[in-house]
Amino acid sequence: MTLTSFLTIIAIVFVMFNTALVGVLAVIYAERKVLARLQQRIGPSRTGPWGILQTMADAVKLVLKEDVRPAESDKVVFYLAPLVIFTPIFMLWAVLPLDSTKVLSDIDLGLLYVAAILGLSVVGMVLAGWSSNSKYAMLGSARSAAQLISYELPLILSALGVGLLAQLYSDTPFNLSEIVRAQLSIPFIFVMPLGFVLFMIGALAETARIPFDIPHADEEIVGGAFVEYSGIRWGTFQLAEYTGLITMSVLASILFLGGWNGPFSEKLTWLQPLYLMSKTGFIILLTFWIRAPLPRLRIDQLMAFAWKVIIPISFLNLIIISSALFTGKQLGISDDVVKGIIALLSIISLLLVTYFIGRRRRKRLNNYRARWGSN
Amino acid sequence: MIGTFRGLYTALKHAFRSPVTLNYPDEQPKLSPRFMAHPVLTWDHGIEEPYCTGCLICMRICPTDVITVSMKDNDKFKLEESKRRKIVDDFELDVAGCIMCGLCVEYCNFDAIIMSDKFNESVTDRNTEVHSLDELLEEGKEQQAKGRWSPPAVKKSQRRSAAQVVTKDGQGATTDSANAPDNRVALAREKAAALRASRELDKKNKESSEKGNN
Repeated sequence: MTLTSFLTIIAIVFVMFNTALVGVLAVIYAERKVLARLQQRIGPSRTGPWGILQTMADAVKLVLKEDVRPAESDKVVFYLAPLVIFTPIFMLWAVLPLDSTKVLSDIDLGLLYVAAILGLSVVGMVLAGWSSNSKYAMLGSARSAAQLISYELPLILSALGVGLLAQLYSDTPFNLSEIVRAQLSIPFIFVMPLGFVLFMIGALAETARIPFDIPHADEEIVGGAFVEYSGIRWGTFQLAEYTGLITMSVLASILFLGGWNGPFSEKLTWLQPLYLMSKTGFIILLTFWIRAPLPRLRIDQLMAFAWKVIIPISFLNLIIISSALFTGKQLGISDDVVKGIIALLSIISLLLVTYFIGRRRRKRLNNYRARWGSN
Repeated sequence: MIGTFRGLYTALKHAFRSPVTLNYPDEQPKLSPRFMAHPVLTWDHGIEEPYCTGCLICMRICPTDVITVSMKDNDKFKLEESKRRKIVDDFELDVAGCIMCGLCVEYCNFDAIIMSDKFNESVTDRNTEVHSLDELLEEGKEQQAKGRWSPPAVKKSQRRSAAQVVTKDGQGATTDSANAPDNRVALAREKAAALRASRELDKKNKESSEKGNN
């Protein structure tokens, strides 16, 4: 490796890291403001115009705070854990295509790389919980390990559906840039809405956001794996969490919303990052909106929902796509018709699943009423 | 499942309503006329002296013992400028302990104390929480200037005794009887005199019967 290429890599990492920092500041401000509006409050308004410097002030306060380490904790692992959590999320940015040319590493198995790296952040959570020598931190890390492992499966399986669909257009369907190019005519959210819903549920659980924020559960285990952290180390966890949210939203918009595709994006290339950013912002707003009215699930409900409902439906999704593609190829049906069939089956199964979940819930409610006799 | 979507719709609906919270120091809340912060003393602008006679009723009724009062002879009474024989000498209110219950206002016979609307009274020094007589009178003047209180036509002691007589008679309170306090007071005095007379009669009978037994 020559010195210039090394310096280039350093510069790129520096720029991306600072972009992520500024992005996280913006997302936290947006979350507080949007959540306040959804709850008929004003939100931060004192620091700077419209309170835009509020997260900056919070960050400064975190940096200035004392860095406390519990006496009985494992020192090396305790200091290593925040970095181990943050690094894999940042590593995902290597393969995310920001426009048709700007991608750090355009590898053919990009989707596989994403799937592999996503699993790594669990390690950081477990390290943090174990090294803190605190029962709350241990409980939080155990919960997050269980949750992240469970919800990675539907996430990867629905992303795999996208890879299968991209086979129609490309020889390297797991390449994220190729997946974006495959959605030039129609974004995959319209072809496989079931897959998008599954991916969003998995992404919410992966980023541990309400209603899946059981790993932190402030009222039960006072913050989860990072209870014992303070100051900027705690800030690193928050940074990792919100970077994870942004990364997941970028991934969702690349896989399902057509990435940098949009009107005139073929000729005017400067529009492409803007399209990607606006789609990412849409997904982030969606997570804020979901956060506002919903309560937190119980841990057994969460695990039951993952293994009894979401993972079987993910397999159903895969079966629908692969069987439609296979029969289409055997019978020589055109690609558009195959996509239409997939969309139809996807919507029907989505409605059926919604109906059956609602029916089961009503049944349980009726049983409860029959037993306990309240209104 | 439907409930989830209904919740999402409700959240979205509320996002487009105006916020219920205020940008506080820039915007002040609209207080109701009955709003109660700590009590302050009223000022008789006709005679230029406080209404308070230092009767100690507020000090006795105060549930948290934050009021301290003392009484003195009124100099203006000697000069025949005022009808108040006694006047408040010193009055201290520890706002830090006041629970803003309004009992002192309820029990005061002289309309001398009212609840103010100064809710933003936080200070950095605990000693400044004890308000002196002059401060309380100044705050009371502010409240009167705001129009939150004006001197009533009929004295509170008379209003109260009138109401009590009506309920004791069981005749039912009408607006006419409430507006004629002197009549009611006279009735009450008659009734009290009759009661005294009957008691003395009983006593005499008792004494005579005891004598008879002996």
